[in-house]
Amino acid sequence: MINKEVLPIAEIQNWMQAMLIQHVPISHLDVTTADMVNDSKRLSAAQHLTIYRQSYIARLRACMQSQFKCLAHALGELLFQDFADEYLDSNPSASYTLNNLGEKFPLFLEMNRPDAESEEKEEWPDFMIELAAFEYALSEIFDMQGTDDINIPDSNTPDHLLITSPTLHLFEYKFPICSYYLDFNANLSPNLPFPQKSHCAVSRQNYKLGLFNLGIDQYYFLNCIKEGASIQEAKDKLIEFYNFERSNFEKIWPIWRRNFIVSGFLVCKNDA
Amino acid sequence: MSEILKPASTYSDIVKTISNPGLGLGLRSMHFDYILEHNPPVDWFEIISENFMDSGGRPRHILRKLADRYPVVMHGVSLSIGSTDPINWEYLAKLKALAAEIKPLWVSDHLCWTGINMLNTHDLLPVVLNEESLKHIIGRIKQVQDYLERPLVIENPSTYLTFKQSSIAEWDFLRYMAEETGCGLLLDVNNVYVSAFNNDFDPVHYIKQLPHDRIVQMHIAGHQHCGDYIIDTHDRNVVDDVWKLFSLAWELTGGVATLLEWDGNIPDFNTYHAELLKAKQFMNGMEHASTTPIQIKKENFTVSNPVSFLVNDIKF
Repeated sequence: MINKEVLPIAEIQNWMQAMLIQHVPISHLDVTTADMVNDSKRLSAAQHLTIYRQSYIARLRACMQSQFKCLAHALGELLFQDFADEYLDSNPSASYTLNNLGEKFPLFLEMNRPDAESEEKEEWPDFMIELAAFEYALSEIFDMQGTDDINIPDSNTPDHLLITSPTLHLFEYKFPICSYYLDFNANLSPNLPFPQKSHCAVSRQNYKLGLFNLGIDQYYFLNCIKEGASIQEAKDKLIEFYNFERSNFEKIWPIWRRNFIVSGFLVCKNDA
Repeated sequence: MSEILKPASTYSDIVKTISNPGLGLGLRSMHFDYILEHNPPVDWFEIISENFMDSGGRPRHILRKLADRYPVVMHGVSLSIGSTDPINWEYLAKLKALAAEIKPLWVSDHLCWTGINMLNTHDLLPVVLNEESLKHIIGRIKQVQDYLERPLVIENPSTYLTFKQSSIAEWDFLRYMAEETGCGLLLDVNNVYVSAFNNDFDPVHYIKQLPHDRIVQMHIAGHQHCGDYIIDTHDRNVVDDVWKLFSLAWELTGGVATLLEWDGNIPDFNTYHAELLKAKQFMNGMEHASTTPIQIKKENFTVSNPVSFLVNDIKF
């Protein structure tokens, strides 16, 4: 038999947290809300606690909605909320910051796709999973460590001094994720796309993100440099891999180079 | 960690020297560009510490620029001083590093807990107000102050329930806590009003009972009156009754740093600033004040302490 009037504060906090974060609250103590919370003139003890219960889920839903605006559009508000609620129920926040609340959401969607049990897979869950991962990656790149204002090359910077920016991130998808995201961001209310392999780059300049669709050859080339190749080595690999004519590639290289610098993909080496 | 904690006077002496920087605004990301471009005549800004502690991108970059131009106060929501979990030293290390960089006037957080068992509800949950929790919180404030090497400033939260196990009035709890630790107090006048309505106490009595010489800052904000209860929404103008409490608190404290919080339906900067400047009308009583009456609306459930400002607003 517990003495409800002298419960240790740890027990009280355990009780209250369990009442807030579980979809169906289960108390580990043999107490009712009325044993723990005072009635007021206008509200019962249970109604007082309900204010916190409703705030808890509404606040975190709002946070998920804010981190996955485009995914919420793609899924529709109700379906998004169902997924978000299930995610929050099974992945309560363990961080002091809300910025990483959605970190495991793409994996959660993968593990809980509606066609998980069936042998024949639908395509739309793949799109949603890719979109969720892309959207979360954007929030990470936006706030990642990095100095954005230094080592900007100009037209005279020799190729051997160029490297990819630390904030450049490259993506390869089964769906046109970047195009869909850009259309959503331009308030074009895009429809769900058909599968189509796509490549894109996200860069950060002056602390603002830039999103760019890439050709598969551009993706290959930039990826080589990201992995440590020099510009010349990346050119050689590209030409060999795609069997390009070197003279033809050298004609388009100045255009690629200019665009890659303007878009923040290429910067000067620190010691340049 | 040192076993011997510094005496309360180490920190209360510092708190006594804190001067009033004037009228401040909560810094919100939607106003970043405006502030940088126009340098509006705001006395100081309060930042949400957690928005900037881990930031390596635009938020931290903007903060560095603003801290060069304006005095800044760091206001946290995740210290969880009332939690029975161990103190999160990793969090405190980041808080201390940010403070070392931007040199805030002071560092504040809430009398609350945010979670236990390593979880975070991201709400400012009410503490049980009794001898055990008072002792517990006093011990934690002392440890945190020694680690940060500065006094903490602790805010009264808005509350939506009281515990049967509580035995100390909140104003007394705050006074004992301040006496034993030397910490400063942040009096959120709107929170007093909200908590008083929700939990049947007299807000005037609450404010009169506080140790006024320990109050270094006040918060004012708007709230949502839902009929049977009030939610602290920070999403609208400050109401008449809160201005009246502010006027009383101003008189009792002799005037301290005052800040307007606005976190939902955030207006353009000039509207936000104009609401703050209304405070000047209430610094010498209510007789010349024009005010906003209480609006009771039966709306759908609304969220307390909105968090939209706690998630990065990505800039393209």
